[in-house]
Amino acid sequence: MNTVLEMSKARLTLKGNAGPVEILRGITLAVAAGESLALIGPSGSGKSSLLMLMAGLERASGGSVSAFGQDLTRLDEDGLARFRRGNMGVVFQSFHLIPTMTALENVAVPLEIAGAPDAAQRAREELAAVGLGARGGHYPSQLSGGEQQRVALARASVPRPKLLLADEPTGNLDAANGAAIMDLLFGLRDRHGATLVMVTHAPELAARCDRVLRMADGRLVAA
Amino acid sequence: MMRGLDWRLALRLALRDLRGGLAGFRILILCLALGVGAIAAVGMLRSAIEGGLSDQGAIILGGDAQMNFTYRFASDPEKAWMAAHARKVSEVVEFRSMAVTADDRTLTQVKAVDDAWPLLGVAGLDQGTVAAALGIQNGLPGALMERVLADRLGLKVGDTFKLGLQSFRLGAILTKEPDSATAGLGFGPRTVVRTADLAQSGLIGPGTLFETDYRLILPPGADLDAMKAEAETAFGDKGMRWSDRRHAAVGVEKFVERLGSFLILVGLAGLAVGGVGVASAVRAFMETRMATIATLKVLGAEGRLVMGIYLVQVGLIAGLGVAIGLALGAAVPVLAGSLIASLLPFPAQFGLYPAPLLQAAFYGLVTGMLFALWPLSQAVRQGAASLYRGAAARVWPRLAHLGAMAGLLGLFVGGAVWFSGSAMLALGTLGGVFAALAVLALAGFGLRVLARWLARRRFVDGRPGVRLALAAIGGPRSEALAVVLSLGLGLSVLAVVGQIDANFRASIARDLPSRAPSFFFIDIQDAELQPFLAGLKANPAVSKVENAPMLRGLMTKINGRKARDVVGDHWVVTGDRGITFADTPPPGTQITAGAWWPKDYTGPAQVSFAATEAAEMHLKLGDKLTLNILGRDIDATITSFRKVDFSGAGMGFVMALDPAAVAGAPHTSIATVYATPEAEAAILRDTSKAYPNVTAISVKEAIARAVEALGTIATATVLAAGAVLVTGVVVLIGGAAAGVRARMQEAAVLKVLGATRLRILASFALRSALTGAAAGLVAILAGGIGGWAVLRLVMDLPYRFEPVSAGLIVLGGMGATLLAGLIFALLPISVRPAQVLRGSE
Ligand SMILES: Nc1ncnc2c1ncn2[C@@H]1O[C@H](COP(=O)(O)OP(=O)(O)O)[C@@H](O)[C@H]1O
Ligand SMILES: [Mg+2]
Repeated sequence: MNTVLEMSKARLTLKGNAGPVEILRGITLAVAAGESLALIGPSGSGKSSLLMLMAGLERASGGSVSAFGQDLTRLDEDGLARFRRGNMGVVFQSFHLIPTMTALENVAVPLEIAGAPDAAQRAREELAAVGLGARGGHYPSQLSGGEQQRVALARASVPRPKLLLADEPTGNLDAANGAAIMDLLFGLRDRHGATLVMVTHAPELAARCDRVLRMADGRLVAA
Repeated sequence: MMRGLDWRLALRLALRDLRGGLAGFRILILCLALGVGAIAAVGMLRSAIEGGLSDQGAIILGGDAQMNFTYRFASDPEKAWMAAHARKVSEVVEFRSMAVTADDRTLTQVKAVDDAWPLLGVAGLDQGTVAAALGIQNGLPGALMERVLADRLGLKVGDTFKLGLQSFRLGAILTKEPDSATAGLGFGPRTVVRTADLAQSGLIGPGTLFETDYRLILPPGADLDAMKAEAETAFGDKGMRWSDRRHAAVGVEKFVERLGSFLILVGLAGLAVGGVGVASAVRAFMETRMATIATLKVLGAEGRLVMGIYLVQVGLIAGLGVAIGLALGAAVPVLAGSLIASLLPFPAQFGLYPAPLLQAAFYGLVTGMLFALWPLSQAVRQGAASLYRGAAARVWPRLAHLGAMAGLLGLFVGGAVWFSGSAMLALGTLGGVFAALAVLALAGFGLRVLARWLARRRFVDGRPGVRLALAAIGGPRSEALAVVLSLGLGLSVLAVVGQIDANFRASIARDLPSRAPSFFFIDIQDAELQPFLAGLKANPAVSKVENAPMLRGLMTKINGRKARDVVGDHWVVTGDRGITFADTPPPGTQITAGAWWPKDYTGPAQVSFAATEAAEMHLKLGDKLTLNILGRDIDATITSFRKVDFSGAGMGFVMALDPAAVAGAPHTSIATVYATPEAEAAILRDTSKAYPNVTAISVKEAIARAVEALGTIATATVLAAGAVLVTGVVVLIGGAAAGVRARMQEAAVLKVLGATRLRILASFALRSALTGAAAGLVAILAGGIGGWAVLRLVMDLPYRFEPVSAGLIVLGGMGATLLAGLIFALLPISVRPAQVLRGSE
């Protein structure tokens, strides 16, 4: 089995207002290439934190985290940023589009950062692929939530990352929009053969994944 | 507008919103504190200088009040008046003379004093007491000299020198002259002697140029205004001039006046810069509250409750920021006071002045409320959904709110007028500020259009840093306009101050007459005039000699009305002026109107008046002037105007009389001599040996004195400019700090997408550089216009655009902002993205 993501006794401790808070208490897991994995669990159990750790957006306080054979704990901020290019795409519950840029520009940015020569063209195609070909010139504030998430999805997938990370991508959307996003997400994965790790509340979404992991109180528990 | 509002609920909700700690408000408090601190610090500096001038006024003047006469001592009735009104009187005689040793001579400004001198303050001597130093030893009366003068003459204490025919012993070196203001812009360094010892010197007599000052110590509580009026009514038309401790600096009046205006301007500049700081802080803060406002609306809060909550909140936070700002503003001059005082050539009184602190608090609160009201009022009119989405606010505030804002603006302007004490200056400055803001708004708008246009060009493709920068400027929620406004105004104010400063200093070098004569000779007696001139004309090194008879007189009335009432403080009437007479127009005279009197004219007195000054004073041909010359009133009719050039250091008389009008009045002649520099020393030696009573004034030295006086203003402007500069930079830094939150969000998202820190930083820098360039261009323009307006209209000085100052200040300001922006970007780019992104989930 080809492992893309590996964690061993990963811990995360953050300084809260009332002293340090243990958020992740020793996570060990491995994600195989091409697999789709759902993370479920009650709110506050540490799902988002685990995803952040996987994406290198958060640094483990202990244990090891590696992706594609690279030990993430050994990379600095810039190293992590560079590593994400082409390797990881991230989708958030609240989209995090750049408000000053149009939809098309938002999608083009990761390609431009990676130095792709045909960024604009590929961004246009990707935007069309999520059904927003006509909305490229709109700013995020002129788009509905579902449309914004589709832009975010296009932005995450346009560099063809080997690993897609999604944190409750439908959490801010209604059922219809949520379902559409899910279809897109799985469609993208199927088409490009990416590995998918997704945090979700919805059991029916989790059921579409190959494997489900449940979290409680900063630990992985039996599903 | 707030009727029916439950203030208690608003207060409770506002406090609840604050309960999470002050963390979210730190930037707002910091910026408010910096803005208010800037206003307060500049105000304190202004008060310190003004306080110094008035506190020390009496000492500088040498008494509570002074009566000054030209050419004569006070008459018996005048002395009687003084004795009746003052507790103590001291008489001081001032004139110029040559201090002579066996082999050297040089000009000195002599102050002849009585036993009561100095009435106030203490004279600084290098040894002994005033009484001992001035006393008679071995038959020789004593004298005090400034060190420069003694050194120039090679005199040590105990050596002798002559003034006129009288020998003196150097009794001590004068290290500090308490009543120095009367020296004003006098010529030559100081010698102090007793008046009684001059009896045999032949120096003080009819026709020689001397002034007497009678210093008065008044009973406590004496009404200066009433006494001034009484003295002027009784003796004003006899040439008496009154000054008192409120305007002590006789002879440096113009300087004090200019400095005063400049300080007012500096205070207003501090206000503008600080106001910008407060405004941008409150604006940035209000933006962070929009989502909460939306939520409150969702939960059923009405507009007025929202307004109430945030006005309370801004009020509370502003109160805290203002308090910190006041502490800052009060601390800076106290801490830096001694340093500043050592730079200033006149005494400044540093201390806690409540007025500037109260004013700064007033300005801070009014500005804070004003700038909170606008976005609040917009938010109240907008739907919650668009607030959540952060859509650009396009709605106008409600009419009632606009009215309230207009009221606050009026309060602000009114405050500026009231506190500055000069409506003209305050309104002019604020007008200039608003004009600059309008131009800056245009520039900001233009920059956004340009950024949007550039973003569509091909060269942006594949350059995400450039794209991000252009998007941040041209896109929605752009801060570009706000940054251009605040940065641009700050830079504009700095550029204007820089222009004033540079012009002051440039004028010192530029205004030195290039074709100045080598010497003025004064006090030439009639009998020696012809041989004196003949000797000079025979000298091949002398290119030109001009001479004219001269008396001094004061213009007391114009057409029977008090001259001061007619033309105010025009310089021609503020003191005694040199007056010449001639039966034919002197060579080179250009009559511009009317006609010179016929040769051998003996009718009623006629006067020819300088054309430019006449126009300034609205004088017409046929106007009757009353001139007090040596205590005698002469009524002369203006029969011609002529061109007189006062710009060079040549001879220039405002008034020329027909000879018969002053026949018999004792007078002397004045001569200007133009010679090659190498010949100057010999000319001085020869003439003074042959004519010991003639006083030579080296124009170079006179110019050096003038340079010193101008240098004083320059020091003050540098200092004030420095104060504005420092506060301006601090406020700009505060502005950069205000953007931290937005930068953080951007940096986090870009990192998710794979951007390195360097790339993010470069993009931030590009953005700052673009907005900075727009602001800087406007600032250079504003600096030019503002500098011109202040120098020409307020200070009455010539103006020339000083590109180096403007360029340096604007570049420096942009550099500081860029640097501050980058430093404040270091935090955002080093924070782990998860922390930021999680915070906004
Ligand atoms: N910056 C932080 N400091 C301290 N505690 C935090 C911080 N961020 C999140 N937490 C806590 O970590 C726990 C896990 O949060 P999160 O990963 O967002 O959970 P989930 O996504 O499963 O709802 C929660 O209890 C939350 O309160
Ligand atoms: Mg979560």
